[in-house]
Amino acid sequence: MKNFLTRYSLTYVRSLVYMLQASEYHVGDFLDWFWRTRDFLHVEERKALVKTPKAVAFLCVGYSALTVVYVFVFWLLSTTTTVCGYLVSFLAIVGIPFVLTYILAVFTVAVRFVQWPVERSIVASAKKKLKEHKGLKIAIAGSYGKTSMREILKTVLGKGKRVSAPPGSYNTPQGIAKFVKGLQGDEEVLIFELGEYYPGDIRKLCDFVQPDMGVITGVNEAHLEKFKDISRTQKTIFELADYLASVIPAEAGIQKGLLYINGENALAKEYVTTLIPPFLKEVPDRAEDLNPSARKFATPFMKERINFYTRAGAGKWKVENAKTSLEGTTFTLADGTQKISAHSHLLGLHQVGPLAAVADIATGLGLTPLQIEQGISETKPFEHRLEPKTDAHGVITLDDSYNGNPDGVRAVIDFLASLKGIGLSAEGRRFYVTPGLVEMGVKTEEVHKEIGRQLASAGIEKVVLIRNSVTPFIEKGLQEGKYEGEIIWFAKALEAFSALPNLTVKGDVVLLQNDWPDQYA
Amino acid sequence: MKTIAVIFGGRSAEHDVSIITAHIPIIESLTAMGGFDIWPVYITKEGDWYSDKAMNDMAFFKQSDYETILKKQKKVRLSFDNGLEMVWPGILDKKVKIDVVFPAMHGTYGEDGSLQGVLRMAKVPFVGCDMASSAVAMDKAFTKQVLFAEGVPVVPFVWFTREDFVSKDGVLKEKIAKLKYPLFVKPVHLGSSIGITKVKQPSELLNAIEVAFHYDDKVLVEEGVENLIEVTLPIIGNDVLTLASVERPLNKTEFFDFKDKYLSGGKGSGVNSEYSEVPAKIDEALIKEVQTLGKKTYRALGCSGIARVDFLIDASTKKVFVNEVNTLPGSLYIHNWKKSGVSGVELVTRLVKLAEERFAQQQALTHTFSSSILQKVGGLKAQ
Repeated sequence: MKNFLTRYSLTYVRSLVYMLQASEYHVGDFLDWFWRTRDFLHVEERKALVKTPKAVAFLCVGYSALTVVYVFVFWLLSTTTTVCGYLVSFLAIVGIPFVLTYILAVFTVAVRFVQWPVERSIVASAKKKLKEHKGLKIAIAGSYGKTSMREILKTVLGKGKRVSAPPGSYNTPQGIAKFVKGLQGDEEVLIFELGEYYPGDIRKLCDFVQPDMGVITGVNEAHLEKFKDISRTQKTIFELADYLASVIPAEAGIQKGLLYINGENALAKEYVTTLIPPFLKEVPDRAEDLNPSARKFATPFMKERINFYTRAGAGKWKVENAKTSLEGTTFTLADGTQKISAHSHLLGLHQVGPLAAVADIATGLGLTPLQIEQGISETKPFEHRLEPKTDAHGVITLDDSYNGNPDGVRAVIDFLASLKGIGLSAEGRRFYVTPGLVEMGVKTEEVHKEIGRQLASAGIEKVVLIRNSVTPFIEKGLQEGKYEGEIIWFAKALEAFSALPNLTVKGDVVLLQNDWPDQYA
Repeated sequence: MKTIAVIFGGRSAEHDVSIITAHIPIIESLTAMGGFDIWPVYITKEGDWYSDKAMNDMAFFKQSDYETILKKQKKVRLSFDNGLEMVWPGILDKKVKIDVVFPAMHGTYGEDGSLQGVLRMAKVPFVGCDMASSAVAMDKAFTKQVLFAEGVPVVPFVWFTREDFVSKDGVLKEKIAKLKYPLFVKPVHLGSSIGITKVKQPSELLNAIEVAFHYDDKVLVEEGVENLIEVTLPIIGNDVLTLASVERPLNKTEFFDFKDKYLSGGKGSGVNSEYSEVPAKIDEALIKEVQTLGKKTYRALGCSGIARVDFLIDASTKKVFVNEVNTLPGSLYIHNWKKSGVSGVELVTRLVKLAEERFAQQQALTHTFSSSILQKVGGLKAQ
């Protein structure tokens, strides 16, 4: 009853509009959240409503609808003398929170309908500008690791080329169009992240940005709730490969149509090797001999275009003596004749593969080994992505709150495991703090149990869990892995964050893994 | 779930510092640990007692009108009915039974044994030093007298009351004249370096004594130490002692004043966080000497729970003197404990346990005995 009454709070409309904004005005996600939520008083917990003109319009619609209903009820109550009149008033009051939600949903659809031609024209104009742009366009697709790859590319290629990339997480047509509008035209390399939420998204973005080269950072369960089936995620991400197959291979000395694929990602590798086996082994003479989804890869030149990158190397570069610590990652790249002594401030051996891939791309674009070495030395952790910070008391916090995918989690736990005896002082303890991962769909239980088992096997001393629907699975995994450390529970992430300074001492390493946005709370 | 009362504020010059200590790290750590029903008990500068869970959040005291808000609330009363109970009087009294008290009051009434005496009477376990050691440690002259008697090195000193200063002026002057300048003149009861003056020549002495008497009715005049290195050592324990790191304040002024100690702390980390070197970069032999004298001082004064011993070291002669003892270090010196491998949660957990252990030992003692003395009084008359 108490929760039901929260629908009548003064902030109810604001909460609804905030959630519409948080779910990027996706009506389905918004309604899913609405029917899942019980307490509408504590919605704006992690972030707050940004009063954009669009949000203000929604607030106006919400409050106007509310006013109309209440005025109507007031008028009815003051004039009616019939049971029916009272009944209607009662139903109106009970129903208004629900009706209001659907009024806002309908308004969202209406706004989209009005916006659509405008956005289409903006995107069309950006597409035209991109088509005429002479810069090499590199597209990055994948369930995770796109921003890290974009930043590494930008930093390393920037040592020899004029490089530009959309800031933040501009990975939708509107976001990219906004970025394209500001281009000078003299950029030599443009880098785009392609966001995927539904099948066809990558294809549409490829048609828009017309990439000359691509990187697939990996496929995993991220957004599985939307894709339902992992094979649909694979297929969607590999829409980039489909597009690149049609790119003319070489132009002005630069090989185009190249596709770099993370060879450490099982699902990406599986898609290429299992679904398109002839592509890696032997390309048949007749494309018709392949299944339809593989035909595009069947063109002989595609075989040379694929490069798997791993911590062992990428393209012509082989990796030697890779080491990682809290100070960064060091390795040597060798191609038989030349060597690059690479030191990156990025943490973890999982960063070696992407760095090697970028070194290979840079070589192809004509950068010298020295430029590549300098570029790699300037790569550093990005905000909230395994970003180390040491406080005044000597506690090291690794902020990995933007990493919410199973592969990223595995890589980070591997990194924490590797610290024992190297980056960690003898007394130092490792704290792993997480609310779990979102949108894992049917894989939720499996993914979280696996995290628990990995933490147990890595011997992490303290696991701090935030109570919600998924963390009990982590606890189960810890038990299955015969975990010997301490599990500390908190009701909310913010409570854990304020408690951590009181739980830690000098030399401790605290890893903050993933952050649950309000729409999943 | 244990119910714990954290008492802070009070009629003391260190009222505001006490609010910080209560929250960072005590209430924060108790909250982080879970398993405690935490009742913040705030004593205003006027001496009124209030308790409301809203005060568990430090933000409450950052409101400019928090005193006005409090005045609208019911004051809390204490009941000593075989234990401590907080009572909010009304048609139906609201009562909360307290299992453990965590005193977080610095200075007068909080750190001088007064509060500890009340809590002994209430028969409730409480954290930190007991009444007698608090009272002795609060008086810088008593501390030096006890330590001197126990063979712990202290700098030469003279103490006197306001009355002595008037009536025994000649004798005191003579005694002070034997001390080597520069001297320090201190009110004996105040902490946080309030009212302390460094006197470089005799002409400045009278003024310094007047300043000290402005704050206290008992004053200490003591020799300064040449080539001074100041260090401090936080200690916890009852019988078995745990030492934090020897810490060296990195004060820029000639001596440690209130501003250095409390106003230069880093945001969110309590007081004292950014003005010192932990561990102190001094000779290993000096560290050992400080640790030995620290333990000896702690035991000589009968400290229990927690205390911090301050030292003065002559860098050229390598002579170490105990300066004073603080029975409730600001913010429990959590910055030092953290660097010494003890987290806030571990520190408060251990302090609560130490309080309960001491309480259990005290309860095992016999405080009463049967006698027929009352019957005998007046008995002879009746005959």
